[in-house]
Amino acid sequence: MQISPEDITREIARLQRNFEFLSYGLIVAWLALVVYVLMMVARERKLKREIAGLRAMLEDKR
Amino acid sequence: MRQKLIFALGIFSILLLTRNIYVISGLPPEANQGAIFKIIFFHATMAMTALTGSFVAFAASVLFLITRNFFWDALAVAVTEVGLAFLAANLITGSIWARVIWGIWWTWDARLTSALICWLLYAGYLMLRRAIEEPTQRATFAAVFNIFAFIDVPIVVFSIKWWRTQHPQPVFWAGGSFPPDWLAVFYWNLLALMALCAVMIAVRLRQEEAQREIDSLRRMAHSL
Repeated sequence: MQISPEDITREIARLQRNFEFLSYGLIVAWLALVVYVLMMVARERKLKREIAGLRAMLEDKR
Repeated sequence: MRQKLIFALGIFSILLLTRNIYVISGLPPEANQGAIFKIIFFHATMAMTALTGSFVAFAASVLFLITRNFFWDALAVAVTEVGLAFLAANLITGSIWARVIWGIWWTWDARLTSALICWLLYAGYLMLRRAIEEPTQRATFAAVFNIFAFIDVPIVVFSIKWWRTQHPQPVFWAGGSFPPDWLAVFYWNLLALMALCAVMIAVRLRQEEAQREIDSLRRMAHSL
């Protein structure tokens, strides 16, 4: 079977597109996890602030 | 000590993931699917991590109902929340793979639909927890709901065996083929993601403990 230059161009384009989608997939998946980690960090800070505030309030009341 | 252990495990998982990404990028493209096939190293491992988490959450919920120890409730919520993030990543990577191979982003076949229902059930579990104020009632209702949600997990896992689906048939446990050296990379990546998941659960568990401390401090403030 003869392979024409168009076949090669088409195959290169397919591989390129394949690779692009792989990159998008991995970026989006990791972004979802990074966003979740950032949300956890923000929650941790909020909890620490709340505990410190409550402890200070209890000290004042005593 | 616990802090150091979490930190060490976090460093280990990140180093292992970096190494795995380097190894995966060096693998040749798959003969039929091309480079996009490599998404399986994250898509399938994320699903395995998430579904292992759902089993742990199920066991923790059962243990809470038996013992009434709030540690199990905290563990169930921590594992469910982290597992939900992994399942979301699994659905996203699967959808992107489907766009290249099937030409569509989504199809309502048994595997994809049951996985989406699984995600929605666990999201519902977290919403239910927010809706109930009283801690004992919240933990009890949430545990029962979590046990109910777990019914979907075997359906997600075995749907590709039970029904003809557009989703590919099992690669690892039904005669599918995977080159041995690729299999090793796959398991290393599974280990890295499991370790990362464990770190995230440990951090989230600590936050639940902090929340309980806040609740008790509030009660003390009210009683003074």
